[in-house]
Amino acid sequence: MVEQATVAAEVHQTSTGIENTKLGMWVFLGSECLLFGALISVFLLYRNHALGGARLHDVYDIPFTSVSSFVLLMSSLTMVLALAAIQRGDQHRLRTWLLATALLGMTFISGQIYEFTIFVHKGFTVHSSVAGASFYILTSFHGAHVTVGILMLLSLYGMSTRGMLPQERSTAVEYIGLYWHFVDIVWIVIFTLVYLIPAPK
Amino acid sequence: MATGGNVAAKAEHAHPNEKVYIKVALWLGAITAAEIAISYIKMPNPAKIAALLILSIIKFSAVVGYFMHLKFDNPTLRKPFITGVILAGSLYTIVLLAFTLHSNAAPR
Repeated sequence: MVEQATVAAEVHQTSTGIENTKLGMWVFLGSECLLFGALISVFLLYRNHALGGARLHDVYDIPFTSVSSFVLLMSSLTMVLALAAIQRGDQHRLRTWLLATALLGMTFISGQIYEFTIFVHKGFTVHSSVAGASFYILTSFHGAHVTVGILMLLSLYGMSTRGMLPQERSTAVEYIGLYWHFVDIVWIVIFTLVYLIPAPK
Repeated sequence: MATGGNVAAKAEHAHPNEKVYIKVALWLGAITAAEIAISYIKMPNPAKIAALLILSIIKFSAVVGYFMHLKFDNPTLRKPFITGVILAGSLYTIVLLAFTLHSNAAPR
């Protein structure tokens, strides 16, 4: 145990005092801001290019998307509670919160798929206009990020049940947690800019 | 080397407890409710947009600061992320302004 702690302390010794993986994760998230910034900008630029067809503001359902947003927001809470649980060595709570986060993520994705189905039935498709294409590219990219997050959460859950995620490896939960929270903050921006802010006439 | 690590470690603060996380989540829920209410209220578009953007920035900052611990972790970690946010925000604002101000230049 003492040896493990010594090894861990040696690994964490860097010139900045920050673990390289953690710094790398933040750099990655910083670069992701540019990716999503580009996708959001493209949507904002083209959202009125509906070519006479349905526009997003004609087909969306704010109350439904609001519930989805709330679900994703609460998954950030369960994620941070999972991190707090592993940091104090509570494996049972860790698994409970990880599973809760993954389930909330799945609920969000199910809601998104349902929403897409409704939009397509109302004539707002990826092929209907540039507005449609930019909307589906943006939200699908975000959905893909959420899906990757769910897979990572389920992997953590599996590792925990096999005893492969002891308290000393809490950083694994922390890094995946950072990614999950990032997915949440991207949705905070998308929800406001794409859904809530009225489109110019 | 070790001195750098010690200085960095001193700059970090203890993470908040679970009660703080729950309080933050409740505030986030309340702000989301306020955003939805504002989106339905009839008011001038500039005021509506400003209110929604401010609330969105508050939510964004709360998640980054509390749930991602950027408020409590080593300040060095803020640099790469804040650089990304500012770069993305300013770059795409310029692009959007360029296309909006010169609407003829907007690709069709």
